[in-house]
Amino acid sequence: MNNLVVSNIRQRPLRTLMSVLGVALGVTLVMLFTGLAHGMSNDLQRRSSNMRAEIIFTRPGSQQLTASLMNLSTQYTSRLEAIEGVERATPVAIQANQTGRGFGFENVEGVEWESFAAINETKIVRGRAPAEIDEIVIDETKARNSKTDVGGTLRLFGNKPYRVTGVYAPESGARIKMPLAAMQDALEAPDKCSYILVKCHNAAEQETVAERINSELPGNKMQLTRDVVVNFEKSIPYLGTFLRVLVGLAAVVSALVVMLAMYTTITERTREIGILKALGASRGFIISTIEKEAVTISSIGLLLGFVIAFVSGFLINRIYGLVFEYEWEWALVAAAIGLLGGVLGALYPATRAANLDAVNALSYE
Amino acid sequence: MKTILQAENLEKSYRVGRVDVHALRGVSLDVHEGEFVAIMGPSGCGKSTMLHLLGGLLTPTSGRIIIDEEDLTAASDAARTDIRRRKIGFVFQRFNLFPTLTAEGNLRLAERIQSDGKGDDPERRHEVLRLLRLEDKMHHKPLELSGGEQQRVALARAVVTRPAIILADEPTGNLDSENSAIVLNMFQELNYRFNQTIIMITHNPEAAAMCRRIVQMRDGQIVERTAAVHIS
Repeated sequence: MNNLVVSNIRQRPLRTLMSVLGVALGVTLVMLFTGLAHGMSNDLQRRSSNMRAEIIFTRPGSQQLTASLMNLSTQYTSRLEAIEGVERATPVAIQANQTGRGFGFENVEGVEWESFAAINETKIVRGRAPAEIDEIVIDETKARNSKTDVGGTLRLFGNKPYRVTGVYAPESGARIKMPLAAMQDALEAPDKCSYILVKCHNAAEQETVAERINSELPGNKMQLTRDVVVNFEKSIPYLGTFLRVLVGLAAVVSALVVMLAMYTTITERTREIGILKALGASRGFIISTIEKEAVTISSIGLLLGFVIAFVSGFLINRIYGLVFEYEWEWALVAAAIGLLGGVLGALYPATRAANLDAVNALSYE
Repeated sequence: MKTILQAENLEKSYRVGRVDVHALRGVSLDVHEGEFVAIMGPSGCGKSTMLHLLGGLLTPTSGRIIIDEEDLTAASDAARTDIRRRKIGFVFQRFNLFPTLTAEGNLRLAERIQSDGKGDDPERRHEVLRLLRLEDKMHHKPLELSGGEQQRVALARAVVTRPAIILADEPTGNLDSENSAIVLNMFQELNYRFNQTIIMITHNPEAAAMCRRIVQMRDGQIVERTAAVHIS
C-alpha cells in the first residue's frame, strides 16, 4: 500500500462509508426527485399527445384530465356534432380513484368506447372493448404495473370489482377506461360527463370551429388539446423552484458530510501532517493530498448515488408504477454537486491542516 | 572542508503567559560536510529547539542559519519548506512513520514530496533499504516491524532523498540497547561510507561517543565542544 490517499481511505472504513453514503444521499435525492418530476411530466405529456381530438368542451369551473366533476350534460354531444366543421364528438367522464397501494390516486375514465376509439385511433390489442357496467379496459403500462391482464379484476371506487376485458394502445388519458354508463352508474350521475372531446373535419380550422361552438353554445368553456398540460413542471407552480431548492440542499448535505469527515480526519492525523511538514511537504501538497481523498470519496459516493437512484427508481416503478425518467442535464448537476460538495467541503479542513504549526503537530498526542 | 551548516548567534524566546522564556541564548555552530555531530545536554537546555530551528520548523527570534549556502532565516515560510524538502532529512525519537504505508511506501512518499509529486526511483529505494538491511521488510507496515526496524525505516526515509544534512532527535531514545547499537551503527556507516552529514541529539553518552564531535548545551547555550572519544 504505497498510496497515502488510498491507504488513508482504507484505514477508516466506517468513516469512509459514512462519507460516501452522505454524498450518495445527495446525488440520489437529486436524481430521484428530478427523475420523478420529469418522468411523470413526460408520461402525462405522452398520454395527452395521443389524444387526437382537437377541442375539449367543458362547463366553466371544470378542469380537464385531472378533474372529477361530472357537471356536463351528455346531450351536448349531439348538439356539438351538428355544428359545422365538427366531425365527431364523444363524452368522457373522469374520476380520481384511490389506488390500493400507498397514498396515490389514479384517474379512471368513462367513455363510449367506439366513438372514443374512433376519434383517438385507439385499438384493443388484447381482448375486447368494455360493454357491461362492471367491465374495464386498461393500457399496457397499467397491465404491466398491476400484473393484471384480460380476465383479471381491478377494484375501483370503494373496492368494487371490475373485470378487465381488454388491453388498449396507444396509451391516452387515464390508464383505466370503463363504459360511460358504468361510470355514471358508479357515481350516480346519469346523463352526465366531465367533458366532451371534439374532432374537427379539418384540424387546421380548430380555432374557427372553437369560435363557432362558442357562439352557438355560449356559457361553456373550450380548450384546445394542444394547450392542455404539456409540461407538468410548468403546470405545478414553483415545482422548478422546489427542485432547485432540493438540489441546493443536496449540495449542502454533501459538502457538510465531507467537511465533517475531513475535519475529523485532520484532527486524527495532526501528527501525520506534522510529519509531512517535517518532510518538506508544501501547503499545496498537503491541501492536494486531502482534496484528492475528498474527491475519491465523492467519486465513489457519486457512483453509488447513481446506482441507488437507478435501482430505487426501477423498484418504485415496479411496485408503485411511478415513472422515472433521468436526464443527462440533471445527472451532470448531480455529479457536479457530489464532486464540488466534496471539494469545497474538504477545502477548509485542508487549509487548516496546511496552516498547522509543524512542531505543535509533531508533538500532538 | 565545506561548511554545510552555519548557525550564528541564534536566539529563541517564547512568550508563556506574561513571561518570556529564553530557550536559546546566542548559540553559534558550524558543521562541515561529512561531520557527525552529537548535541548533548540536560532536558530543557534547548537541544530540540535548536534542532527545530536548524531544520526550519521554527524561526529564530534573532540570528542566522545558512544551510548549504542558503539562508534559512531570510527565507519565507514557503521557501523554508522548500529548503527543508531539498536539503534536510529528519529522524525522530518516535519514528514518525505513516502507519498506513509500507516501509517502501514511506520512502516513496518522501521521494514524492522531495520531487513535488514526480519522483519515483524504485532502484534508489531498494538500494537504501538494502543498505539498512531492510530489503525483506519493504512490504511491511510499521506495526509489523520492531522498534529498531521502524527506526531504520525512518532513517532510510531521511536518506533516500539524498539530503545535505540529517537531523536526528534522540533516534535511540525509544529503543533497547541492542536495537540502539544497530541503529547507531547504521548512522555511523552512512557517515563513513557516504560522507553523510549528521547532527544528532542524544542523552546517551555511548551514542555520542560514536560521533566525531560532541557539543554540550546548558541553559540555552553551548558550553563545551569536544572531539568524541571512540569506544571500541
